[in-house]
Amino acid sequence: MSRIHILDDRLVSQIAAGEVVERPSSVVKELVENALDAGAREIRVELVAGGKRRIVVADDGCGMDADDALLAFDRHATSKIDSIDDLERVATLGFRGEALSSIAAVARVELRTAETAGEGQRVRIEGGRVVTVEPVAHPQGTRLEVASLFFNVPARRKFLKRPQTELRHALAVIQGYALAQPEVRFSLRHDGRMLLETLPVSADQEGLRARIGQIFGAVLARNLIPLEAAVRPGERVAGFVGNRQTGRGRRLFVYVNRRLVRDRALLAIFYRTVRETWKSDAFPALFLFLEVPPEEVDVNVHPQKAEVRFRDPGFAGRVGDALRAALEQARGEEPAPLATPVAPPSMPAAWEGLGERKQPLRDDGGTWRPLPGGEVSEVREGAVAGGDELADGGARSYGRAVEPGPAAGVAPRIAQPNFTPPAPRTVPLSGRSGPPRAFRLLGQYKGSLILLEGPDGLYLIDQHVAHERLLYERLRRAFADESTPSQSLIEPQILELGPAEALRLSELAPALEPCGFALRPLSGGAVALAALPADLALDAAERLLQRLATAEEAIENDPGALRRQLLDDFAASQSCRAAVKMHHPLTMDEMQALISELFRAEQPYACPHGRPVVLQMTDVELERRFGRR
Amino acid sequence: MDIRLNRVELLRELVPMQGIVERRSTIPVLSHLLLRAIDDRLEVAATDLEVSLTSSCEAEVEEEGAIALQAKKLLEIVRACEGDDVALSLDSETQTVSLAAGKSRFKIRGLPADDFPTLPSLEADGAVEVAFPTFKKMVGKVFFAVSSEESRFQLAGALLEQREGALTLVATDGHRLALVESEVEGLEAADSVLVPRKALQELLRLEDEADLHFRRGEHHLSFTVGRRQLICRVLEGTFPDYERVIARDNDKHVVLPRQSFAAAIQRVSLLTGDRARSIRLNLRDGELELTAANPDLGEAREDLPCEYQGEELSVGLNPDYLKDFLGAVETDTVRLELKDEDSQCVAYPVDGDDRRYLCVIMPIRI
Ligand SMILES: Nc1ncnc2c1ncn2[C@@H]1O[C@H](COP(=O)(O)OP(=O)(O)OP(=O)(O)O)[C@@H](O)[C@H]1O
Ligand SMILES: [Mg+2]
Repeated sequence: MSRIHILDDRLVSQIAAGEVVERPSSVVKELVENALDAGAREIRVELVAGGKRRIVVADDGCGMDADDALLAFDRHATSKIDSIDDLERVATLGFRGEALSSIAAVARVELRTAETAGEGQRVRIEGGRVVTVEPVAHPQGTRLEVASLFFNVPARRKFLKRPQTELRHALAVIQGYALAQPEVRFSLRHDGRMLLETLPVSADQEGLRARIGQIFGAVLARNLIPLEAAVRPGERVAGFVGNRQTGRGRRLFVYVNRRLVRDRALLAIFYRTVRETWKSDAFPALFLFLEVPPEEVDVNVHPQKAEVRFRDPGFAGRVGDALRAALEQARGEEPAPLATPVAPPSMPAAWEGLGERKQPLRDDGGTWRPLPGGEVSEVREGAVAGGDELADGGARSYGRAVEPGPAAGVAPRIAQPNFTPPAPRTVPLSGRSGPPRAFRLLGQYKGSLILLEGPDGLYLIDQHVAHERLLYERLRRAFADESTPSQSLIEPQILELGPAEALRLSELAPALEPCGFALRPLSGGAVALAALPADLALDAAERLLQRLATAEEAIENDPGALRRQLLDDFAASQSCRAAVKMHHPLTMDEMQALISELFRAEQPYACPHGRPVVLQMTDVELERRFGRR
Repeated sequence: MDIRLNRVELLRELVPMQGIVERRSTIPVLSHLLLRAIDDRLEVAATDLEVSLTSSCEAEVEEEGAIALQAKKLLEIVRACEGDDVALSLDSETQTVSLAAGKSRFKIRGLPADDFPTLPSLEADGAVEVAFPTFKKMVGKVFFAVSSEESRFQLAGALLEQREGALTLVATDGHRLALVESEVEGLEAADSVLVPRKALQELLRLEDEADLHFRRGEHHLSFTVGRRQLICRVLEGTFPDYERVIARDNDKHVVLPRQSFAAAIQRVSLLTGDRARSIRLNLRDGELELTAANPDLGEAREDLPCEYQGEELSVGLNPDYLKDFLGAVETDTVRLELKDEDSQCVAYPVDGDDRRYLCVIMPIRI
């Protein structure tokens, strides 16, 4: 007997369903897309047990007539495309005609729909089998109820997560469409509780801003800079980037023709532009809405329709330009003058690296000119043009001045004989074993390097990296402890998050408590922070929480391990961000404090990312360079 | 500009300017002072664009004029010179000032006065009047609680509130809150405004016995003391509803001698943990026990007799916050009002001069 046989129809549709329906949120996604395609102005979603028990999506769209109500559940039944040419110009969110049949194959589904109010149709399907078809009174629109998802596919059902987790995924989906469709009213109820409700607003920039505020809170909405771009006819580049205050968490939303995409190429442009414009990895919030004529973009390159391909290669460049302009605008955070000064006040002389100086000149109007006699900029520029010039050129021109007097037969050495001879290179800065050795703080070089005189040479310490290292160790220690001293706050601080983010944070709250955080969920996507680890600044704490709330990694697997890993990696990124920057003058006391803590650190030589903290110029090396050896 | 003036008087005006210009400025002209000879005086101004200070001193003016000179150098020169008088004359062609004092002659290169930012001016109406020493004391009593971070949550400034007959200053950094209220005659309209940290800090440095005239403009605040006027921007933000924050139901009161309490805290806190400083206050009848522990180093304990009757109680606090309060308060005894481990500690002076002074310190739980 042959072993190969043809699968029966229902099994085929169950397998096919697997591609479309993975979890309750995928059902929500398909049903919301259908409602939007049907021109709905209002979409109500209700979930029970995170959607595992029941999902209801009701809309006020065009509805279906009696025939279509049945046809909709057939595989490859769609009203949206007819021919391969149509596929070239898909303007609707759906087009495969697969969603409803897939869902109906793995759940108990009830459809109520009416094209004209009152004259509706009710269809019940269980596991792909039509159970009931009957007329019913229904207002214009469609209501789909999906109960007991995967009731007939136990293997799938087992993989569903806790209701809270499934709910969070569903929320993220609805949030995504709510951002893209400001004119549509969305609401989400879970176990009877209203979690998200957005009133309709206009589809222009300000409407978008209002919608973002409805979801993520007014603070974020206020901190957004609109994107504007010179585009071709039929194109639109709209949306916002956040200013510096929003550089926490990952709120990156990219839409192409109102379809939420996770397109790596577009995100890469964003990351690159932020790095170039802000010289920073603190990526701000991004809400990018791109519209191009449907035939200019291919949405069918990814099964979940998450990636896109643009036919016009120049388009990505135009998006990049818009991002750059907005980011440049967002960067301007220098304090505004008291009144209008004659010279623009906001051009700090910044150095890119240690060597080159960025010109503090502005050529926009020519009101600014280098001021004579003010600073020693010329000297600086000359002296630091190359690393070796100080040693070579400098020594030559001052050669005569330091000529030893006649009494000194031998050039005096820098190393004093009473210092113990240096063990080459591997100098423990702190005598972790052995007595501590004396160091003298010389000062700061260009607000960036701390100079130390040691028994055996000159030490240069990168203040940013050193501080980063210390913060990292402090945070790691704090998180490693079972319990951390927890500082209560005078007033709970309200963190405005989106509902999905707030939910995730509430889930994590018990795990965060031993770390010193006291969190309390509030309504409307906010969380109150009542206490925090005693050694964490409020801002740093907020950034940590934001990051945890938006982290993409799955947290549910092993909360303990994951928490440690997340916190550790937060400690690394956090300490980098909070560390004193280059070109930031420090007082002697500040330097002293930094150095003494550094010498007590577990690992004072490299930052969490592996960059060196300390460079040493030994006396021997210095003497050789000065021609004394 | 061609003027002659008293060297010591000039010096007296140059010194307080340094705090303003000292800020790490990368805009050359901001490390300069604006000198303007006008009528019979020399006006001096400094600004960091956030806070500005102006003043003047009497001068014999031959010719009016203005120039910006490097603040620190000018101070050093005027201070180092001998002689009663200083003469300044400007060569506007080269923007160079010749300075003569005693037998010394200096030529100092300056920047055109036009490069100096235009400073805002505030009209005199609606001025609040208060003795400057009183005001300075008030600032000193809350300054430690002003946040030095400026973030979404934190206001790097203090709330100045006027009510009929009283002036209140409140500061909080989220962990603690300090409030001081003084009686001030002649205050009427209720008003409140946020004063930035830097302005408070500069006011603390001014020495003057005169009255302070405080005015509020739309965007700026001005503090005038004698001939000196400090102008700063109004800090935007909402200050917490502080009265609601201060606990009223703390029923466990302990009265302590200020100095020995401070000294005990100082000693015990030598052994607090490295990353989070906290000590414990353990209260029993008639006795306060202070303890601290550092897992790596060891423990410290000190008993302090005190006036206390009631249930035993233990609470963790940051010793620095207590020390800040004990350093600012002037009375011999202080009172702590407590409730339980999770509730705030409110510290008061006993029999102080202020109408009201208190410091709320939030606990640390371990
Ligand atoms: N809420 C609704 N209102 C009106 N018509 C609907 C609604 N939902 C589905 N339909 C009709 O049912 C058809 C099948 O829907 P289904 O989601 O299975 O496929 P699709 O949307 O065409 O493509 P895709 O599989 O890509 O989603 C649609 O083409 C549409 O005509
Ligand atoms: Mg569909």
